[in-house]
Amino acid sequence: MIIRKEDLFLFFNRCISEKIDNYEEVLLPKKNNKQDEKQFSFTKYNSDENIEYDLESFRTIDPIKTLFYLSRENVSSTSLHSKKRIVAGIKACDLKALNILDKALINDDFVDPAYKKLRDNTLVISSDCNRITDSCHCNLVGGKPYSESNYDINLSKVNNNDYYYIVAGSKKGEKFLNTMKEHVAVNKAPQDVFSLVEENRKDILEKLEKQNKEYYHTENFYELKNSEEKLWIENSDACVGCGACTNICPTCYCFILNDETEAEKFVKVRSYDSCQYHGYARVAGDGSPRPKMHQRFRNRYLCKFSYFNSNFDTIGCVGCGRCIDACPAEIDFREVVKKSN
Amino acid sequence: MKNPFEVIPGKIFEIIQESPLIKTFRIRPEKPISFKTGQFVELSVPGIGEGPFTPSSSHFISDTMDITIMKTGFVTDHIHKIEVGDRVGIRGPYGHGYPIDKFKNKDIVIMGGGVGLAPTRSLFLTLLDEIDNYKSITFLAGAKTPNDFIYKDAICKWREVDKINFLRTVDSIPEDQKWNENTGVVTTLLEKVKIDPKDNPSVVCGPPIMMKFGTFALKDYGFTDENIYLSMEKKMYCGFGECRHCVIGKYYACKDGPVFTYEMIKNEEAIWE
Repeated sequence: MIIRKEDLFLFFNRCISEKIDNYEEVLLPKKNNKQDEKQFSFTKYNSDENIEYDLESFRTIDPIKTLFYLSRENVSSTSLHSKKRIVAGIKACDLKALNILDKALINDDFVDPAYKKLRDNTLVISSDCNRITDSCHCNLVGGKPYSESNYDINLSKVNNNDYYYIVAGSKKGEKFLNTMKEHVAVNKAPQDVFSLVEENRKDILEKLEKQNKEYYHTENFYELKNSEEKLWIENSDACVGCGACTNICPTCYCFILNDETEAEKFVKVRSYDSCQYHGYARVAGDGSPRPKMHQRFRNRYLCKFSYFNSNFDTIGCVGCGRCIDACPAEIDFREVVKKSN
Repeated sequence: MKNPFEVIPGKIFEIIQESPLIKTFRIRPEKPISFKTGQFVELSVPGIGEGPFTPSSSHFISDTMDITIMKTGFVTDHIHKIEVGDRVGIRGPYGHGYPIDKFKNKDIVIMGGGVGLAPTRSLFLTLLDEIDNYKSITFLAGAKTPNDFIYKDAICKWREVDKINFLRTVDSIPEDQKWNENTGVVTTLLEKVKIDPKDNPSVVCGPPIMMKFGTFALKDYGFTDENIYLSMEKKMYCGFGECRHCVIGKYYACKDGPVFTYEMIKNEEAIWE
């Protein structure tokens, strides 16, 4: 099917104003600054014409986890509530991250109730990347700049942005698409549309491959073969242990749990923590398995490539490159992995 | 859907000062909490925080729970300020305890040091409740000084039970304290016992340094890596494998442990730290 961009936004607008299917909120990547072509972040949609939303570029600055797994959250049962909402413009790297979080936070051992609530109440609309940024490297970790599954709805830009090729990928998505048809024009796609989408996808993938060519030197980019201490001391030489990389990583979900009082109740608040901090694994009596910076630095790589693999049967890096952009010491994740394998 | 962060409130009904830094808190939860010996719970002080502790009472008791706690950090400092009648919260139990089914008809060696006697007390009491199922229990207990020994009164009673050999040692004897038992680190007690290490289980619990040398000593004595059970106490924030703080390589200390065989974790990093 295809939908005109105008109509899609019109429908979003009506979802909010008429609470269609009880959807109350739409979150979209917003251009933070008209001069800066590289900065987007998820923002509540409103129809103000001065605000530019961008579903077509590359991933936002803020990782998808910030919409589902909040940086600070009261997780005691009494406080859990959330609106039914639509998040659109999720890129393939973030969608992959969301699926890793699903494995980590909703499983046979436990269900994180706050995460599950937000997940259940959200319709996930992914969209193909039509641009890349310097740090993008999904192609190195088995990803592609477009989603092929795990979305409710996927959008691919066609014909210079005038309209989207739109597909449903779940029952929830199909239902949504049918509702959409009742309100705006959603038409059958002309025969050649999918080939245009494919061409576009191929073009972006080629750009990515070109950008990351120098890292393609082994079969598996992410196999950390060298665990020599000396190498990791070198790798972490510039690291200040600020934890920006883990905070901005869409698959890092380590948290600390704090207690607050609310009358007579026991209230638990979870907030992001970082394995890069010295206090992270320190126990009473001051014992710590990773007292040195290079040990903690190495832990992040081992966690992403080895521990995640054992725990969730997938590696923990989705190639979004945010850690590269966020690092004040300009440490390039790709470089470190390259040196270590 | 059960909220894993929800606590069961409880009241402290007795506090026993075990040593200058260690107290046993006896708790009556609002509803009974069943656990398997060696599992742990998260004990909350309202508004302050919580920490992982292994109960020190028998797992055949569920309407009350004893937890022995050393004052050694932020949360435990606050726990030590608790008075009889105060409210606390409990989450859990979590993880895997000691596989006592495998201990049946065996000669069991338990090595515990300092506050590490707490989880082993739970194991010991649980075994004691069904002592007919086991061939013998050898308890090797260590403390820094005689005054640091916990469960002093109980130990006297336990020593009277058949099939039990309870040996104690201290690292040193300050001038103002008396001691007529062994002196030396806890591993020196192994020289004083005669047990066939073949197919028999051994358990170690104590401060990291003791766990390390205790494990090596048991290995030297002839226990196999599969038969050395370690109670790994890492930073277990959530208790059920979500927060990742207690990760030991591919394992979660909270979910896959806290009781591991040495065989399972011997190749993982920094297990003794």
